[in-house]
Amino acid sequence: MIALIVLAAVAAVLLLFLVLTFNRLVRLRNEAKTGWANIDVQLRRRSDLVPNLVEAVKGYAAHERETFDSVTQARAAAQQASGPAAAAQADTVLGGALNRLLAVSEAYPQLRASENFLALQQELADIEDKLAAARRYYNQTVYRYNTVLQSFPAVIVARALGFQQREFFETEADARDAPAVSFPQP
Amino acid sequence: MTLQEQIRANRWRTLWLLILFALLVGGLGAILGFAFNLSLLIVVAIIGFVYAIFSWLSAGKIVASVTGAKPADRAQYPRLYHVVETVAIAAGLPKTPPIYVIEDNAPNAFAAGRSPQTAYVAVTTGLLNLMSERELEGVLAHELSHIRNHDVRLMTLVAVLVGVVALASDFLLRISIFGGGRRSGGNAGLIAFALGLAALVIAPIAAVLIQLAVSRRREYLADASGAEITGDGEGLALALRKLQLDTQETKHAPRAVAHMFIENPLNQASGIQSSFRSLFDTHPPLEARIARLEEAGGFHLAPA
Repeated sequence: MIALIVLAAVAAVLLLFLVLTFNRLVRLRNEAKTGWANIDVQLRRRSDLVPNLVEAVKGYAAHERETFDSVTQARAAAQQASGPAAAAQADTVLGGALNRLLAVSEAYPQLRASENFLALQQELADIEDKLAAARRYYNQTVYRYNTVLQSFPAVIVARALGFQQREFFETEADARDAPAVSFPQP
Repeated sequence: MTLQEQIRANRWRTLWLLILFALLVGGLGAILGFAFNLSLLIVVAIIGFVYAIFSWLSAGKIVASVTGAKPADRAQYPRLYHVVETVAIAAGLPKTPPIYVIEDNAPNAFAAGRSPQTAYVAVTTGLLNLMSERELEGVLAHELSHIRNHDVRLMTLVAVLVGVVALASDFLLRISIFGGGRRSGGNAGLIAFALGLAALVIAPIAAVLIQLAVSRRREYLADASGAEITGDGEGLALALRKLQLDTQETKHAPRAVAHMFIENPLNQASGIQSSFRSLFDTHPPLEARIARLEEAGGFHLAPA
């Protein structure tokens, strides 16, 4: 009789643990998905903005063909990138191309004074800030999710139920921001 | 402590305080049940429950009207909108909360509303004039942390509990003074009665002290999670330092809503504070809050 009660108690505890772990994993995964959706919104906003920006610059600096092409190509590549890691890489390329475009525009005072161009530039800045914010949040949620996924004993439940680790959205800027450690040569 | 450790420690402290609160309410009930009539206790419980529901439902709306907060116009405050939207994304809120502005030169900000869906933030015009974009981000990250951590809900709940304790004590105190209660049973009955009376006097004060302790705990928590959201604890610390140097009182901030602001809107003359007085503060001293951010972030602000 006592053995039966103990057995039932152990089974109940196990079941409770299973349910709690499962729910926790689902919640964390959903948070990460929301985080990714936030990034996606900003990526799309920028993708929509790029043609307008190119057109605006073209009006004043038509012969900077090379710069326009690299921006357009980077945009197409970014639209096709699937998955956080690939998207992050494409995003870095596009960011670089856009920076070159803005650098080129510096040479045209009339362009810089144009209201349309100023508005586009401001919107781009808005998008980049929000993209950075969305990236921070997403990477935090992925970090939490992956940590739970890897830790014992949740790892057993996660494996059995097919929870997969998620990729971080890391741009090269993150790697560049890391402090460079250098030692003076003797 | 790192930010993560601070966040965890503050969550635990809140839990302990809430357990203490439950013990207080339960203890009060037990003593009353013993010293007075049991049916009286049930009447009080029902009144308290109705009162709780009423103040719960009206909590969010009252704050906006009391503080004179008005919806902010996007065209008029583009920078504020940009910062709030960015921080809301970084905080992972389901949506950007509606933004309100208070015409007031004293720099301050608060968050209100019962859930992340219905919450809103308000800032004074003084805050917008005083803070740089980086500092404004820190302040709003602190406020949106209150929303994300469901602090508004927690503090409303605690306020309701305090109200219920006060109401119940007051009610029973009157009844026991104007007759009623059972006083048979000689000495033991008398002692029980005296104990009951003492409990009735002490309980409301104890409730308020717990409420304030919870409030201070949540401020530390909002600082830590705000710093985590922006990844820039120094920006928030700089903002707090500016608030510390500013001594204007927020005009429309009655004591009842003081705990929702980023700093105590009722500015006490700064100076040496006794530990007894600090028991009655809604907010920890700004200096202590800055020190914690410095510790977690590994930076040092110039002394005030």
